Amino acid sequence: MQVKPRLGSGAYHLPQEGAAMGRSRNQGAATRTRLLQGPLFRLIAALPFLFATSFAADAAESTLSAADNACLGCHSIEGLAKQLPDGEAMSLQVPGDAFAKSVHRLIGCTGCHAGIDLAKHAAATSDIRSLRQYSIERAETCRLCHQAAAEQHEASVHAARARAGNTLAPVCTGCHGSHSVSPRTAYETCARCHAADLGAHSQWLPNAKLHHAVVACAACHAPAALRMLDLRLYDGATNKWVVEKEDSPRFEQMASAADADRNGLDAAELRNLLREINHDAAVTPRTLRGRVELRVGVEAHLLADKAHAIRACDSCHRYGAEPFQNVTVSITRSDGRPLRYPAQREILGSTLAIESLPEFYAIGGTRSVFLDSLFILALVAGIGIPIGHLTVKWLFRKQRARRDRQGRADGAG
Amino acid sequence: MPRIYIHPLPVRIWHWINALGFVALILTGIQIRYADRLGLVSFRNAVHLHNWIGFVLVANFFIWFLFYVFSDKIRVYHPELSPMKHFRGSLRQLQYYGYGIFRGDPNPHHVSAYHKFNPLQSTTYQIIMLLVVPLQFFTGLMLWDLERFSAAVEFFGGVRVVDTVHVLCFIFFVGFIFIHPYLSSLARPPSAHFKAMLTGYEEVEEEPGQGDAGRIDTPP
Repeated sequence: MQVKPRLGSGAYHLPQEGAAMGRSRNQGAATRTRLLQGPLFRLIAALPFLFATSFAADAAESTLSAADNACLGCHSIEGLAKQLPDGEAMSLQVPGDAFAKSVHRLIGCTGCHAGIDLAKHAAATSDIRSLRQYSIERAETCRLCHQAAAEQHEASVHAARARAGNTLAPVCTGCHGSHSVSPRTAYETCARCHAADLGAHSQWLPNAKLHHAVVACAACHAPAALRMLDLRLYDGATNKWVVEKEDSPRFEQMASAADADRNGLDAAELRNLLREINHDAAVTPRTLRGRVELRVGVEAHLLADKAHAIRACDSCHRYGAEPFQNVTVSITRSDGRPLRYPAQREILGSTLAIESLPEFYAIGGTRSVFLDSLFILALVAGIGIPIGHLTVKWLFRKQRARRDRQGRADGAG
Repeated sequence: MPRIYIHPLPVRIWHWINALGFVALILTGIQIRYADRLGLVSFRNAVHLHNWIGFVLVANFFIWFLFYVFSDKIRVYHPELSPMKHFRGSLRQLQYYGYGIFRGDPNPHHVSAYHKFNPLQSTTYQIIMLLVVPLQFFTGLMLWDLERFSAAVEFFGGVRVVDTVHVLCFIFFVGFIFIHPYLSSLARPPSAHFKAMLTGYEEVEEEPGQGDAGRIDTPP
């Protein structure tokens, strides 16, 4: 049974009759509640849920504050939604466990929802007309902390489309989500809407799938942004990124110890670091996999129209290309974000790279200086040997002529 | 001057396609690798050309391979089955190119239908055709589609290893592409070997007592 008491312009409803309300959904304890009409009463009604209602709140208990768990008391109820005037249903359910893992857990619910007056919550009246309008308005809240990102987004193709009335053009929550904001790769973020476009790349981009794996979307689609190369530790044995242990982080310490002169890892230092990292590794060593990313992540908001995206291959496949001017070596932190340590760009073309970077190579862009020398040597030898041989032949011409004459004379004799 | 038929048609077709193809592969390879210094064509077009020519040459390789495998002409690579004799012959030839030719010594090798290569050529060409060229093609194939051949790439130690082997072969062929025609011009007259590779026939000087050098062959 659904209970949909009409409250002003908005309508709230609880989940279907029998929805799980116990300590855990798995336990299957079903409790029923009804939405109550007074704000204060609703708050009181929410209290029992604090410790006994949702799985999400339960999972989040250890990391979220009591105030946040109080909010989740109601907002973790599965199916909790608000009926909007345009007919849309706005979910009011917050995935507590995801929020507890999100980057925003430290600021808690009130970090973004500061205007909530518990005495009046939930509001009898609401000016939320549509999900879209609400998302656009909430973007102003994001701006309070993320001013630079908001300004860059305003100059992006997404914002331009949004201003032109395209309801599919994302604002903040469109890409980052609302309560589960966590570090994700651009690929994961962009592919949710642009999955079909990914396939279209293969019509003109050789090895398109590989490019998507090693080049962040924004590296091409935010042409105004500066790029870099991040070489991240990868475990070939498990086929996963190596994740730094939260309780005993060692990567930075090891990298710092390897970088004796503190000017970024050079080729030998990088090799030593990898040897150190792999000294206890199984047969398949941990290696570095490269990925072209933005130097300043926030510049990913500078997305341009696809007509202006970088299509020239030699933006990367050229010696000295801009992305390879700035190189870092990194490990994945437990929250998914990279922990980076600077490296010298010369490591990419070093002979030692065959040991330390066997799995990263951009044709033309990270070519080996040693092989360049061999190429010049082959060219000089290829041209020089015939010229030298001809010269010596020319120098010996008189001796050969004498011998010919001698031979003819001997023959005639 | 008597002529002998030393280059059958499939070999000539293979040779000239190979020669032009390798020159094109070297040029497009230089363009791909040194896009910062050379701008003859765009990187994208250079890669497309390089790939297509590569596939043509892979197919062409099989003309050479199947012809020699299924004909008795494979003997041109193994006229002498004694390795020591072959090695001594190679040293003699090396001595001729490095010293005797200046003094006007006679070439220790005499061409015949089944002795068209001197020992040095026979050794070098076998290394090139059975090791370097297949390695060049195989690594090129992996670099063409790293996703498709990801297992092989991983097996060989990663994309940088594969690319390094590909580039080392490329460097070898850069030297070879100059030295090979020069050595071919050391015949008398200098155009003799080039003409032979076009017509199939090579004119040989009659030298009595020089094995089957003077035997006149006819095309099959």
